[in-house]
Amino acid sequence: MLGTPPPPPPPPPPTTPHSGPSDGLPAADQRRDAGIGPEPRSEPTTLRSGSSEDLPAAAWWVALAGLPGMGPARLRALWDTSSGREAWRTVAAGRGHLVPEVAAVLGRTGAEVSERWARAARSHDVAERWEAHAGVVVTVLGDALHPGRLVDDVEPPVVLFAAGDLGAVAGPTVAVVGTRRCTRAGAEFAHELGVACAGAGVRVVSGLAVGIDTAGHRGALAAGPGGAPPVAVVGSGLDVVYPARSRALWAEVADRGVVLSEYPLGTEPARWRFPARNRLVAALADVVVVVESPRSGGSMYTVDEALRRDRKVLAVPGSVRSAASAGTNWLLSQGAEVACSPDDVLTAAGVTGAAADEGTLLDPRPRPTGDGRRVLRALGWEPASLDTLAGRTGLGLGALAVALDGLESDRWVDRDTGRVERRSRP
Amino acid sequence: MLATVSSATILGVEGRPVTVEVHVGPGLPGFTVVGLPDASCREARDRVRAAILCSQLEWPNRRVTVNLAPSSERKVGSGLDLAIALAVLAATEQVPSSAVRDLGCLGELGLDGTVRPVAGTVSLVDALSSSVVVVAASSAAEARLVGRHQVRPIERLGDAVLALRAEAPWPEPPEPPQAPPEPPPPDLSDVRGQPVARQALEIAAAGGHHVLFVGPPGAGKTMLARRLPGLLPPLAQLEALAATRVFSAAGVAVPGGGLITRPPFRAPHHSSTMVALVGGGTAALRPGEMSLATGGCLFLDELGEFPPSVVDALRQPLEEGVVRVARARASVTLPARFLLVAATNPCPCGEATEPGACRCSDAARARYRRRLSGPVLDRFDLRVEVHRPDPTALLSTEPGEATPAVAERVARARAVAAHRGVATNAAVPGERLDAVAPLTPGARRMLESALRQGRLTARGLARVRRVARTIADLDGQDGDAPLGAEPVALAMTLRSEASGYLESAA
Repeated sequence: MLGTPPPPPPPPPPTTPHSGPSDGLPAADQRRDAGIGPEPRSEPTTLRSGSSEDLPAAAWWVALAGLPGMGPARLRALWDTSSGREAWRTVAAGRGHLVPEVAAVLGRTGAEVSERWARAARSHDVAERWEAHAGVVVTVLGDALHPGRLVDDVEPPVVLFAAGDLGAVAGPTVAVVGTRRCTRAGAEFAHELGVACAGAGVRVVSGLAVGIDTAGHRGALAAGPGGAPPVAVVGSGLDVVYPARSRALWAEVADRGVVLSEYPLGTEPARWRFPARNRLVAALADVVVVVESPRSGGSMYTVDEALRRDRKVLAVPGSVRSAASAGTNWLLSQGAEVACSPDDVLTAAGVTGAAADEGTLLDPRPRPTGDGRRVLRALGWEPASLDTLAGRTGLGLGALAVALDGLESDRWVDRDTGRVERRSRP
Repeated sequence: MLATVSSATILGVEGRPVTVEVHVGPGLPGFTVVGLPDASCREARDRVRAAILCSQLEWPNRRVTVNLAPSSERKVGSGLDLAIALAVLAATEQVPSSAVRDLGCLGELGLDGTVRPVAGTVSLVDALSSSVVVVAASSAAEARLVGRHQVRPIERLGDAVLALRAEAPWPEPPEPPQAPPEPPPPDLSDVRGQPVARQALEIAAAGGHHVLFVGPPGAGKTMLARRLPGLLPPLAQLEALAATRVFSAAGVAVPGGGLITRPPFRAPHHSSTMVALVGGGTAALRPGEMSLATGGCLFLDELGEFPPSVVDALRQPLEEGVVRVARARASVTLPARFLLVAATNPCPCGEATEPGACRCSDAARARYRRRLSGPVLDRFDLRVEVHRPDPTALLSTEPGEATPAVAERVARARAVAAHRGVATNAAVPGERLDAVAPLTPGARRMLESALRQGRLTARGLARVRRVARTIADLDGQDGDAPLGAEPVALAMTLRSEASGYLESAA
């Protein structure tokens, strides 16, 4: 358990046509005690496989979502044609590819995929899977809890798993996205953006990847308990933390906001799941800000998805020599709005930012003098190699090393990545 | 009916004397070899018999027993053929026994009686105590390097027989044509730009500091590494002989023939096995690449692609300067005192040091880094990130500083180090650092701040001081003066630049 406040009382029973009156239990609602990972249920199970007739509709969709190669589009096609239980029976019988809507998204290898589903479905205990999800919030398209932005989306997720408070997604949102291999300056800007947005009541949406995503969320969390709750969408099961070193951040985001996933617990991250995750990031955001991105990559996919949904796209300009800014600069050349400060982003989101107090603080670092000043000026805001700095300043390597040591000691620069990078804050 | 001739066999790089005893006596005609011969040694029977018959000499139709003493040690290779043949001839009185008494023989026999060279001639000759040594003509130059023996080069078994019977003088075959001189190592003036990497090379050469280059493909890591041996001073007499012995023992052709005078440069491919690097493998425990690099450089290109076990095998030799190869039957100590220079990409795609350019997954990067992290990484005093050079520097017509000028500074710095009684500054023991590398107050403050902020570890401190000492020596500073801020800051920079990246995920 992640220590969330007790959940609000269960909303009225789901209105989805797929949860018929035979459902002996309110479908998603009683499993709202947020947390990651299966929890032993307190009451002994009445939902053993023998009584699968009593399962709520959501249980069938959870089982279907866990089949190998079952992506959002395929699940959606099944949703469009039948109820959960019927869809499961069709798939388990190996007839999935015979449904015309499903066949359309499966393409030429339909029979193979359908066969794999059937094989997996045979060894799949629906009731047991359903029980395993007792610790997380599960909502199905049509449930009142299903986030409005996603219900109205062009590619709505059929089933959604959430750790934390699903209510966090309501309200103004900004997606802070960018490359995992960011520069220090990029990460710092994303952090600033996170602080400013959360402080102004705007939810930061991101994918919890390393780099810009992490920096944005850390910023949102740094805004303090009064800040807007962070929203994260991940591409694996909620219990499969990827990358593993982000575990603490996941837990904190789930604690203060919500972590969403389209995939059942235990789903491993896979390459193809990340574009689908990015589509949800775009769908949940009012505004998408790309802080740093190479010319191609996941962030560009998020931008495409945002444009399909008529979301505003902002990009942070960067040096023309930085590969990490090639994508954002290109976006700007294609007409994206410029995000030069957190205020630009808040304005685009229709919020006026609170007076930034961080920037007005006096910089406590001692001002560099002599060679240090010269090196800092030659460095600028773009990561530079020692060779480059030596060329720009004309200093000998020894003198340059002394100057850099002083700057590093006073936290003006950082050399963690092998290049020298300027720090905007101590 | 009994005759003895001395010869030798090889184990590692050491020759071991072997006394070949032949007894020809009554009994059914037969030929046995005893005294732990290996397969190629046992085959000597057939070669020796054919060679004697083809040389118009007589094969005794009696019982011939060959004992290789000491009989508890394993004898390896075909180098004992000539000694066995001459001992058989002496035992059958075809050559006078007195003539072979003070004779050492090394050589493999062809069926027609030709004498062929054997690997390890230098060490084998060194193991012989006789005053005259008979060797194949093409090994004469190697045999003479030892300098204690009268070397008699022969081309055929018959030549030796005639000379021993005093029917003809020892032949004096013409010196084999001088092998073409070794091409000079590539020159440092080809390197454009890259002042940091050049400086690192110079420091590595002057102080004997192992160096690791990290950078994307095409940054010039390999090009830089290949220019390192040119900066090292030529080998002194003893080092040269040691290097030549290793080459000879491994059966590797000595470039230029005769003595190796230039520091060797060995660059094994990353598919090399542990045995190829460490040595061993055959019963002779052939020296590996580490030993072949003794006195010179061992270059491991694509360090991250080497199997981790191979990289870990470097640790003991890096500490002790020797590699101990132990097998069930024998164990040897092979020399392995080399300057390690390695190059690696920062990740499988090679672009991790360029912001935003890497296409590897986190897992792939972490896996790659794990191969590099840990104790081996710590052995590198210099860890330098190499970036693709600036296009203007690449196209500039102004050549960089040439090798001879840099080598001269290196030689001067090495002389200063030698004055301290150590081979190089990298070998200064920790307890002498305070005496050898004292610090000015400024340098002390700088190190203290780096230690406090966690930018430098206690282990790194000693290495930084050694490198700083070398930098100061290269700079022509007084060899006893305290180290100032500049050399210390530069030493920290050259050690830590790539380390933050390499260790961040470790």
